[in-house]
Amino acid sequence: MANAEEIKNSYIDFVLTNGEPPKSVYNFAKKLKITEAAFYKLYGSFDAIEKAIWEDITIATILTIKEQEVWPQYTSREKMLSFFYSFLEMLKSKRSFIVYTLKKHPKRITTPDVLSGAKSEFLSFSEDVINEGLDSGELTDRKFFSKRYKDALWLQFGFIINFWMDDDSKDFEKSDEAVEKGINVAFDLFQRSPIDNLFEYGKFLTRNSKFKERMGI
Amino acid sequence: MPTTKVERSAKFVKTGFRIGGNYVKHYSKKLFNPNLSRDELNEDNARDIYNSLSQLKGSALKVAQMLSMDKNILPKAYINRFSQSQYNAPPLSGPLIIKTFTRSFGKPPEKIFDTFNLNSTQAASIGQVHEATLDGKKLAVKVQYPGVGDSISSDLKMVKPIAFKLLGMNEKELEIYIGEVEERLLEETDYELEVRSSIKFSKACRQLKNVVFPTYYPELSSSKIITMDWMEGMHLKEFLATNPSQKLKNKIGQALWDFYNFQQHELRAVHADPHPGNFLITPDEKLAVIDFGCIKELPEDFYTPFFGLIFPELMTNKDATIQAFRELQMIQASDSKKQVEFYYKAYKEMISLFASPYLRPTFDFSKPEFFEKLYAWGEKIAKMPEFKQPRGVKHFIYVNRTNFGLYTLLNELSATVKTNTFQPAFAN
Repeated sequence: MANAEEIKNSYIDFVLTNGEPPKSVYNFAKKLKITEAAFYKLYGSFDAIEKAIWEDITIATILTIKEQEVWPQYTSREKMLSFFYSFLEMLKSKRSFIVYTLKKHPKRITTPDVLSGAKSEFLSFSEDVINEGLDSGELTDRKFFSKRYKDALWLQFGFIINFWMDDDSKDFEKSDEAVEKGINVAFDLFQRSPIDNLFEYGKFLTRNSKFKERMGI
Repeated sequence: MPTTKVERSAKFVKTGFRIGGNYVKHYSKKLFNPNLSRDELNEDNARDIYNSLSQLKGSALKVAQMLSMDKNILPKAYINRFSQSQYNAPPLSGPLIIKTFTRSFGKPPEKIFDTFNLNSTQAASIGQVHEATLDGKKLAVKVQYPGVGDSISSDLKMVKPIAFKLLGMNEKELEIYIGEVEERLLEETDYELEVRSSIKFSKACRQLKNVVFPTYYPELSSSKIITMDWMEGMHLKEFLATNPSQKLKNKIGQALWDFYNFQQHELRAVHADPHPGNFLITPDEKLAVIDFGCIKELPEDFYTPFFGLIFPELMTNKDATIQAFRELQMIQASDSKKQVEFYYKAYKEMISLFASPYLRPTFDFSKPEFFEKLYAWGEKIAKMPEFKQPRGVKHFIYVNRTNFGLYTLLNELSATVKTNTFQPAFAN
C-alpha cells in the first residue's frame, strides 16, 4: 500500500524520466502496484499531486524557519527574507520538477492553478508576519493599503520564482540578490516613508483655512 | 542603491550626459572668457563622476578607489572628490548571512561559533565583517556579498567609457591595463585564495619588527567566508586623533615601510592595497595588517629594470637608463630619436622624484614639498599630448598604486623613516 509520500516521489520520478506525465492514472497505479482506487483516495488527479508538492514545500519552509533559534529576534523584514532564502533552498532540491510544473502552464497574469495551495499558505504566513510588524511599529498602518501588503509580497513571490527559473548563476546567487533587494524594497515601502509625511503635510495644509482661502476653495 | 546591471548602466549613461553637459558649459563660457581655466571643468566632472560612482558598490567602487589612489595621473580636482569614496554599502540581512553559512558549512553560524553577532560591525568593499567568539577567542568573520564576482566584468565594461573620457585615453591601448585591474579584482573575490595568501604572507613577514597579523582559520573559511582573529586597534584616523608622539608615529611609519619593502624586495610579491582601512594600530603600538585580498606579484622582467632605476649609479648612465625604459616599454621601439630624448627626460624626472625617499638613509614624509612636486608632475603630464596614450608595462598600475599609497599613508602619519632597511640585492 503506497502512501502519499511514495506516490509523490514516484510521480516526480516518472515525469522527470519520461518528460511527461503518465498516460493515465490506471497506468501509473499499475506501475506502483496499487489499485486506482487507492490512488484516488489520496489524490484526485495528477494536477492535484503537483499542487500538493508546491503546498508541501511552502509548509515545510515555514516550519523550518520557525524552528531557527534566531526566529523570535527577527524583525518582520528578516522573517520574510528568511522565508525566501529557505524556500529557494528547498526548491533547489526539486528544481527540475518545479521548473517542469511551471513551464507547462502558459504564462498568464493570474496565479497558475498549481500554485493555488502554496499561495494560500504563503498569504496566511505573510499576514501573520505583517501583523507582527504593524503591532511592533516596524511597519506603518495605512488605511486601505496595509491590507494589501500581503498581496505585494505575493507579487514578489511570483517575481522571485520567475527570476530563479531563469537564473543560471553559480548556486543561484543572483536569485539571492533578487530576494535581498526585492524584499527590502517592499518593506521599505511598508515602513513610514517621506510619502506619508507628504500626505500628512497636505492634510495639514488643506485643514488650514488661510491656505484654503488663498487657493480659492 | 542601483541594483541591476540595467540600472547601473543607466547611472553611467546619465553621468556620461552630465559630463557632456559640463563640456558644453565649459566651452560656452570660454567663448566669452577665453582665460577660463580647465579647473572648473575638472571640478564639475569630478563631482558628477563621484556622485554616480558613490551610488555603486562592488567593483565600480573599487575602480573609484583605484583612480583616487593613482594620484599621479589625476588632476587635483578629481582626487579630492575620489578620496571621499570610502566604503558604503547596505549591510546584508541576517537571513542572507545565515544562508551563506549554511551553504558553506551545512549549518548556521550559531552552530559553528559560541556567539555570532548577526549585525555587522564594518563594511568592506566586497563584504562585511561580523564579530564572533569560539572557545573564548574573539574572531572577525568576513562575509562576501553575493554575486560580486559576476558583476565585476560587467561593471568594468561600464566604467571603461567613463575612464577613457576621464583620462582622455584610447580604448585599445587602455585595454591591457583594464585587463590587469579585472584580473586583480577577480582574485579579490576568491576568499579561499585570500586565506592561503594571508597565511603565506603573515608567515613570511613574521620576522618584521612591530608588524603583526591575525591568525587565519581555513577550517572556518570558505569561498565566501573568512574567519580570523579579531584584532584590537585603531584605524589611522582614530590613531592620529589621539595625538601620538612623533616617536610613536615614526615607529608605525617604519613598520609600514619595512612591511612593504620587505615584500617588494624579498618576496617579490606585495600586498597591493595600501588603503587605510586595511591596517590597525594595536594598543601595544604595533601595525596590524588585516587584509590580503590584493596581491601583486613582481616578475623578474619588471622588478630588475624598475628597481634598478632607483639607484643613482644607473640614473647617471644615460644608455643604461634608456635601456631600462625600453624594457619597461616606457620608451617604445617605434619612437623617433626626438621622442626617445623627450621621454627619457620626462621619465627620468619622474623616477628621480619617485625614488627620492630611497636616495638618502632617512626620509621625512611629513614635508609637503615632496608631494606637491609629485602632484605638480602629475598635472603637468596630464596636460601633455605626448602622455595622452598610456605607456609602460601593465605592472606599473599596481606597483604605482602600492608605492604612492604607501607614501600617502606615511605622509598622513607625518613619519620619518629609515629607507635603507630593505633594498634590492643589486643595490649593495
